[in-house]
Amino acid sequence: MAGPHEILGMSRVLGIGTTKFLALYADNQGTTLRSEADGRCVFLTPSGCRVHPRRPLVCRLYPLGRTTDERGEERFAVFPAQPECEAVVGRDGTVGSFLESQGVVPYLGWSRRYGELYRRMIGLLEQLDIQGKIDAPAADAPAPEAGVTETPAVEPSADRSPLSSWQDVDASLAEYCSVHGSAVPAEIDGAIALHLRAMEEWLDDLESRLGPA
Amino acid sequence: MGKQEDRKTVTRRDVLKLAGTAAAFCTSFGFLHGSQTGGVVQGKHIGEWKQLQARWQQAEIKWYSGDVLLNSSEFPSKVLKHLQSDEMATVEIKWFRSGKLQQNLGKIAANR
Repeated sequence: MAGPHEILGMSRVLGIGTTKFLALYADNQGTTLRSEADGRCVFLTPSGCRVHPRRPLVCRLYPLGRTTDERGEERFAVFPAQPECEAVVGRDGTVGSFLESQGVVPYLGWSRRYGELYRRMIGLLEQLDIQGKIDAPAADAPAPEAGVTETPAVEPSADRSPLSSWQDVDASLAEYCSVHGSAVPAEIDGAIALHLRAMEEWLDDLESRLGPA
Repeated sequence: MGKQEDRKTVTRRDVLKLAGTAAAFCTSFGFLHGSQTGGVVQGKHIGEWKQLQARWQQAEIKWYSGDVLLNSSEFPSKVLKHLQSDEMATVEIKWFRSGKLQQNLGKIAANR
């Protein structure tokens, strides 16, 4: 699993943009990291993780797993040890001290922020489902003319193309900043903050167009 | 009237982007929807996972005179470990005088 903010962080460690990162290292339409044929993570090398300074939350948490219930209450669990894992993990200390040692705190914060956006998206989808406020099919996406076959310049891989343009932080921030006449933040944390804000504004707009639930 | 209808319209493209983004986040973050959230994930591994709480890592008893803090003391580490690891653990507060119970303030669930 890898969220847009994590893809941004890893891409910066590798010195590439998120568009290229998604094309090279993501699977399942940009939602997971690629694995090698033997199941190893694409970033695992004999000398360790290639993106360790910006490794995703799920890697930072291991061997803990984290779940959040519908009230937002967090629970942590311990995964059974992987026999091939070389990490040294003790049973002393608390979950809190472990999370602190792994630099998890900002990642949990971002995960919660994206979680809030996710809940808003689900709310909007439920509202649409109930009220059927979708316009006519051809309003902004005209169907191709009969007999015309649309051929993309580059054949996209169905599994590599992101499900949503929001997953590509660099591309979505470039678009947002071009519309707003502002500069794309160079620093990772600033870019994540702007990505969250841009998504909030997108959802604000959709919510205002739909009106109260 | 027509204007109001327009305001409340979202396009097919909006809906596709919304559904695609929600689906992407669902997988990217492991978010689940509605009452399944958490339960499904935990249920699959219930026999293998040891549930832990991460709400607190230190417990203190403090006593005051009015609003003035007089003293505070941390729970002994042995007690702390038990309280942290046991989801059903409770703390009971009782006042005694010369070994005789004066008042029982009741039990507080440590992990709720």
